[in-house]
Amino acid sequence: MKNIEVPALARVEGEGGLYIGLENGKAVEIRLDIYEPPRFFEGFLRDRFLQEVPDITARICGICPVAYQMSAAYALENALGVKISPHARALRRLMYCGEYIESHALHIYMLQAPDLLGKESALELAAEAPEVVKKALRLKKIGNELLKAIGGRSVHPVNVCVGGFYSWPDTKAIKDLLPDLEWGLQAALDTVKLALTFEYPFLEIDYEFVALHHPDEYGVIEGDILSSKGRKLSIAEYETGYIEEHVRHSNALHSHTVDSNTYMVGPLARLNLNHEQLLPNAKKALQESGVQLPIRNPYKSLIARGIELVHFYEEAIQLVKEYKPTGSAHVELKLKAGEGAGATEAPRGLLYHRYKIDGNGMVQFAKITPPTAQNLPRIEADLFALTPRIINMPEAQATLTAEHLVRSYDPCISCATHFLKLKVEEK
Amino acid sequence: MIKIAVIGIGQSLRGDDAAGPEAVRRWREKFPETAGRPEVQIEASELPGLALLDMFNEVDGAILVDAVQSSARPGTIHRLSEAELESFTSDSKSAHGWGVAETLRLRKQLTDAKVNVRIIGIEAEQMGLGAGLSKMIEDAMPGICEALEEEVNNLLK
Repeated sequence: MKNIEVPALARVEGEGGLYIGLENGKAVEIRLDIYEPPRFFEGFLRDRFLQEVPDITARICGICPVAYQMSAAYALENALGVKISPHARALRRLMYCGEYIESHALHIYMLQAPDLLGKESALELAAEAPEVVKKALRLKKIGNELLKAIGGRSVHPVNVCVGGFYSWPDTKAIKDLLPDLEWGLQAALDTVKLALTFEYPFLEIDYEFVALHHPDEYGVIEGDILSSKGRKLSIAEYETGYIEEHVRHSNALHSHTVDSNTYMVGPLARLNLNHEQLLPNAKKALQESGVQLPIRNPYKSLIARGIELVHFYEEAIQLVKEYKPTGSAHVELKLKAGEGAGATEAPRGLLYHRYKIDGNGMVQFAKITPPTAQNLPRIEADLFALTPRIINMPEAQATLTAEHLVRSYDPCISCATHFLKLKVEEK
Repeated sequence: MIKIAVIGIGQSLRGDDAAGPEAVRRWREKFPETAGRPEVQIEASELPGLALLDMFNEVDGAILVDAVQSSARPGTIHRLSEAELESFTSDSKSAHGWGVAETLRLRKQLTDAKVNVRIIGIEAEQMGLGAGLSKMIEDAMPGICEALEEEVNNLLK
């Protein structure tokens, strides 16, 4: 077989290609070429007032703007030594539920399911099984509606601020979502059942999983950064355990651990490390699935997303029922110079921010490490491991199996391209 | 009462890609009477993706104003039906899965609800990074507004 080359990956967010160089039946070179232009957001943020940061960073991603807002807000709150009210914290979790719902529903049905069903795209799937796609779109839309109710609009919602929220969402608008959310919980349980009927390509990897862990809830905001290899760091210590570096073929930085290991963030990492904190319906769905943890097959991220979809519908129902605006939506800020880190779990995995601010609240330094930058070296390593299994397949099937592997990570290339250091090497 | 949606699509920071929302904005200024009618719903979207489907809910007609790239002279106004849009889609190298054409096709597969869709395609010159329309697009704007006004009135008939 010739080399495997996919010039433009479909069904991923952003622009990138895939190259597997073969020699005597062995992979000698693997590259995820990230040619989407770098975004320079960290540069834009300098000399901006801290309250602008959540809305600017939200623009990094159209799929997970909430994750960027949340990590930014927590980092800046830590820099100021501010703690938000328990009611604002609950609303942040509810908002995050909306983002998980829309992102996971989209990925499960529209981005990955076509691979498992041998369809070229969701369009082809819609032609054959319109009811499945209709259900998927409704599942996703409920997440969008939730974001709209809290943040005014579903794409790049506003309202999150350093200190909490600018204002409490309308109570009726929130409570009105309940019937849809209850429908969604059932549909999410059906999604897990559907996910268990798929035949996943075989690949087992002994990953180092890394995710935020919170003892009392499914880790999304706040907690410690836990690794399946036993490393446990506070959010402020993140950079002592995980390092980003530039690689030639990518406009996105690549991360590794201090012991030079690749690692995986995202739904598999979260489920494997945090399954004990799942809510009852999600826990039951996991038990009944018969799936053994830890899941080490990257293609089966879809099952983890399914279980999480149940969890976040369940949590949204709980939080909507309890929603009661109390006191001010945000605490007053006292500006002072400082530095703070924040990390939350975006649907694609751990998203870390760190800022330095001056006494007027102006940003002096910003660092953002998105989940896809952390996963990129792991995806390349997975492709190395996969190559011997696909080398004897017909070329089209081999290419598709490799592409499917990349897609199963739900990479957000647009988010990952955040820095470019040019280095010209003479040969 | 016939209800219609006028939807401007395009990113404000990608050169002539902004032509759609910009044309809708200027039409609104130039024809406030039509734009202000209760049966006309106006939307602007940078990158609608699947959310475009929701904009078709509860309307009988929709006009999409969007930048296009074919081999025509920049500023050329293409007035198309839904079926005619297909000819503008095949050459895309974009990895972003959900273009306007794909979303319209998906809608057809999922629902029988009839919406009379018209597309005003504005031939773009460049869609590079940065705000601002090319001169040829700028010069075409008055004509685009007239065309949009005519399409709106046709749908409301």
